[in-house]
Amino acid sequence: MEQQDKSSALLLGFLVFGALAVLTAVEFVLALTIKLWQFLVLIPLIKAGLVLYYYMHISRLFEADLDSDHESYTYKLLSNRIGLWLFLLSDAFIFGGLLLSRINLLGLTRPDLNQVLGLAVTSILLISSFFANRAEILMEFGDRKQFIINIAITMGLGILFLVGVLGVEWRLAPFGPADSIQGAIFYVMTGFHAFHVLTGVIFLAIVLRNGSRGLYSTERHWAVEACVVYWHFVDVVWFFFYPALYLIGTLAK
Amino acid sequence: MRKFFSLGLVHGLLWQILGTAIGIGILTGIRQLLGLAAWKAEPAIVFGALLGAMFFLYGVGVLDDWIRVAAGKEVPEHVDESGLGWRRYYGASLDHKVIGIQYLTLSLVLMVVGGTFALIFRTELANTGMQFLTLMEYNTLMSLHGIVMIVGILIGIAAFMNYLVPLLIGARDMAFPRLNAFAFWLAVPAGIILLSSLALGGFDTGWTGYPPLSVRAPIGMQMFFLGVSLAGFSTILGSLNIIVTIIRQRAPGMTPFRMPIFIWASIATSIISLTATQLIGLSFQMVMFQRLFGMGFFDPGKGGNPILFQHLFWFYSHPAVYVFVLPGLGLISEMLPVFTRKPLFGYKWVAISSIAIALIGFLVWGHHMFASGMAEYLRVPFMYSTLLVAVPTGVKFFSWLGTLWRGKITYEAPMLFLLAGIVVFLIGGLTGPPNATVSTDLHLTDTYFIVGHFHDTMFGGYVFPFFAAIYYWFPKMTGRRLNEKLGKLHFWLMAPAFIVLSLVMMRVGMLGMRRRIADYDPALNFVIDNKIMTMAAFIIALGVLVFLINVFWSIRKGEVATGNLWNSRSPEWQVPSPMPIYNYEKPFEVVGEPYDYGLPGSVYVKFKESE
Amino acid sequence: MRHVVIITILVIASTFLIHTGLTNIGLLPAEASAQSVEIDQLFGIYTWMISALFSLIMVVLVYCLIVFRRRKGETGDGAYITGNSALEIAWTAIPLILVVILAYIGGKSLGVIRRVDPSAMKVKVIAGQWYWQYQYPEYGVSSTDLYLPVGHQIDLLMTSNDVIHSFWVPEFRVKQDLVPGRTTELRITPTLIGEYKVRCAELCGTRHAYMEGLVNVVSQADFDKWISEQQSAAPADPALRGQQLAQDYGCANCHSSDGSEKIGPTWQHLYQSNVELSDGTSVVADDNYLKTAIVNSNLQIVKSFPANVMPDFSNTLDQTMVESLVAYIKTLK
Repeated sequence: MEQQDKSSALLLGFLVFGALAVLTAVEFVLALTIKLWQFLVLIPLIKAGLVLYYYMHISRLFEADLDSDHESYTYKLLSNRIGLWLFLLSDAFIFGGLLLSRINLLGLTRPDLNQVLGLAVTSILLISSFFANRAEILMEFGDRKQFIINIAITMGLGILFLVGVLGVEWRLAPFGPADSIQGAIFYVMTGFHAFHVLTGVIFLAIVLRNGSRGLYSTERHWAVEACVVYWHFVDVVWFFFYPALYLIGTLAK
Repeated sequence: MRKFFSLGLVHGLLWQILGTAIGIGILTGIRQLLGLAAWKAEPAIVFGALLGAMFFLYGVGVLDDWIRVAAGKEVPEHVDESGLGWRRYYGASLDHKVIGIQYLTLSLVLMVVGGTFALIFRTELANTGMQFLTLMEYNTLMSLHGIVMIVGILIGIAAFMNYLVPLLIGARDMAFPRLNAFAFWLAVPAGIILLSSLALGGFDTGWTGYPPLSVRAPIGMQMFFLGVSLAGFSTILGSLNIIVTIIRQRAPGMTPFRMPIFIWASIATSIISLTATQLIGLSFQMVMFQRLFGMGFFDPGKGGNPILFQHLFWFYSHPAVYVFVLPGLGLISEMLPVFTRKPLFGYKWVAISSIAIALIGFLVWGHHMFASGMAEYLRVPFMYSTLLVAVPTGVKFFSWLGTLWRGKITYEAPMLFLLAGIVVFLIGGLTGPPNATVSTDLHLTDTYFIVGHFHDTMFGGYVFPFFAAIYYWFPKMTGRRLNEKLGKLHFWLMAPAFIVLSLVMMRVGMLGMRRRIADYDPALNFVIDNKIMTMAAFIIALGVLVFLINVFWSIRKGEVATGNLWNSRSPEWQVPSPMPIYNYEKPFEVVGEPYDYGLPGSVYVKFKESE
Repeated sequence: MRHVVIITILVIASTFLIHTGLTNIGLLPAEASAQSVEIDQLFGIYTWMISALFSLIMVVLVYCLIVFRRRKGETGDGAYITGNSALEIAWTAIPLILVVILAYIGGKSLGVIRRVDPSAMKVKVIAGQWYWQYQYPEYGVSSTDLYLPVGHQIDLLMTSNDVIHSFWVPEFRVKQDLVPGRTTELRITPTLIGEYKVRCAELCGTRHAYMEGLVNVVSQADFDKWISEQQSAAPADPALRGQQLAQDYGCANCHSSDGSEKIGPTWQHLYQSNVELSDGTSVVADDNYLKTAIVNSNLQIVKSFPANVMPDFSNTLDQTMVESLVAYIKTLK
């Protein structure tokens, strides 16, 4: 990570969020108007690219080691990063499999879902990613108090997402998991994703607690980085699941 | 008494029982609260089993350090286990050598259990008509034989990768020792849950678990799905560890093409394990959900597609067979130079061939589905990609011949098993193309020909190299040699019997004997062949028995072997046996090629002198 | 080099030896279809390939093990040879070309065995646990035995009532899975008159091993005769028709007519009896109950019997057939 000062880092984070928000709005409008599935695959890819580079800092994986002592903290930090990304790569295969199942079983139809709710939960998750990024930047610059506030907001929004999906959407859906193939796909995809959001919330809680006890510093905050990167991953998955469930295709009769 | 209960394994098992009971209780309670009929066996047992596995992990102690970290406490990076003695092997050790031996033990247990199942149903098959098994019992034993062996193989390759990788690259341990311990201990409740299917009605689908049949199978089916999902998760975490360790923990001077060839095999294997395994988990979980919640993924009546399961399943399960054989083939490449005293022929090509097999292996899964009813236009592309895999595989065979050519060959027990591996894998590999070709496969698929083909590839690519590796590295692990005479007896019992077994399997398969049948029509004239197969199976078992006796005896009374027994250039043989607890007190630097046998004055690794 | 000459001779000799062995021990069943002739040609190519490659590698292997073994008292290492790029390229490129050729031949072969014949006779195949059922829509005939006229292509249009099965007559070579919810297709051109057995080739439950049926390849004349016999054999009496349907469609596999216990409730004394259902209620087994039970079996499950086992007959049995079955059940007192 190049040397930036805090405010420009925060500004970058905000600009990326702005781009993501605009792209999501474009997605929504395109789904209503042009209805070409190709766009609804391309836009999530662009969003994912932005998050992978600017929020998840994938380029850090390719940084040269400053310290070749295998026992040093900085050496292990890069090893930890590689391990985390390999874990995310593996996890991506399950979500990929779910997407392929959705394509195979639903084709160009989609389940009858509440679009307002869909856009709402998507926005909540996106905003939570924004705050997660802020929290990580603030920790990097040693602003513990702001870090705690931002992590807490992230966690709160995460819980709100879960309430929105599991509490509201699942109850309002016009089908149950056993009723139809739309139902089966909807519940399994949102269920797997929500499980990951839940584990992310637990991770955030742990980081929040330990952070407020002063366990992290500018130099040593791997738990924060891991938690935030995982959180962004969960958001990226939703970038693909949202159009797959809500936007692509025509309503099944 | 107190000491017994303080063993991690025992502690874990007790907690597993507790967790299972609590899980059953919680599920029943939730059903009650939701206004459903309180007791429903299947969901209760599934949830109980899952919670039991999680409680096991807590009880054995692999979660303790992570819980401490989460609670904000200090956790030391390394733990000095030198005072703990044999007890380390029964609990959560962080030492990769201990974990490797734990994996090895578990894999031998699973293979003996799986093999026993085979002996039982082979006895049933020696005559037509059902002698002593019911049809469901037969199907269950046959299915369990398959999956227990498969899990046993996965555990066995984890054993050798865990034990050897840090030693071969000069590392102190794996990159993530606690993750390593967690991954191992997860496999234990997974195996228990898998075997518990015997007590829960069994299952009659074969290890492939195709719906719709698996949706209507007994509760044992769920234990199969859950057990395999957990074992799969263990594999994923293990392979993640291997990859990071190889990338990050190599000794100075160990550039990629100066790594021992087994390291390349481990990378290729782990690439597959890390990623594709998720798909078998997903496919199994979807059937579990269909059974538990009525979600109709594979139910045509609800708009589902049974063939989708097969795509998801085989997307993992084909690359999985390369997971099974790549380490073994890597072990052959690793050990052959030692017994021929010549370099590994074409080392770079062999290294790349492992990666090529792994990558191409992702593109061939449809050859398991030529008769399935999948879209016709898919058949020919899969035929091309499947036949393509033969090319990098051939590179390995030719390299082995090149390594033997003009060598100075000796025939100790490890070498005999390596040779058996090569011959048997050759037969298995040559019977691949008729299976890869669609029209011939339409005759061969779902027959004993396939059974013969995969037993050949499994024995050639895993079982024989695995035994070779045990005879070879047993002194490194224990400081004693396995008895050479018994080793040769083991070989002469197992190898010829196995070759006969697989050839007869292929013969009856081509002539019309279907696979997975509990009984067969006497009019087909397969009775004598089946009797031969049963006898061969028992001879193989006798060989394994000889091996086990050898192991138990040699651990205590075997000939002492503390030096470089095989005169290997590999780093782990440059320090005394058994391997010191810290691996390499003096770190080494790589200054030459790994297999430059026959080059006077060449050195592979140079240990730092103490200052 | 002397080594190369000896090895070449041994490889050639071994190839012929093994090939002769393999082709003379009878590894394939009789060829009874046009498809089997095509497929066996491919097996023939593979037999040569396997003999040659096995010989090549085994001869070199055994030769090395004998000629390059360490003799007593010999010290020192083997020859320092790390590789040979030319060889590596050769034994990568040649197999690559070989497999592409094999795949091409395989593709052509597939085209031959899947060739469409517009005049092919269509036969519907319906499989279930653990029976085979055939319908000849062109003739209005249904049967539990498969009769086929020799020398003509038959298109089997297949589906399953429950789980995945697979149709395989080894003498015909080709097999094809039967999948519930979809129709799969198998094209067979029988060429040898005789009685064969079809055996299910996809594990389908406990009685998978016994799921077999008769496949009778007969002359065209005999086939026509059989068809007219089947057409006129349909009894006029609905109860007798029902009895035949119960055999043909596998009902008798699970429902006894004499009170004995099978997977489903017995039909003896069933009509107008009091039936206890799994939800605790009780109904009288009248005509409506029986009709519903046949085509919508999971609506009302009899107590102590499992749900989701009886196949879905709603698409296979039409109204007349259902009424015939009910008529038959009524006769079972």
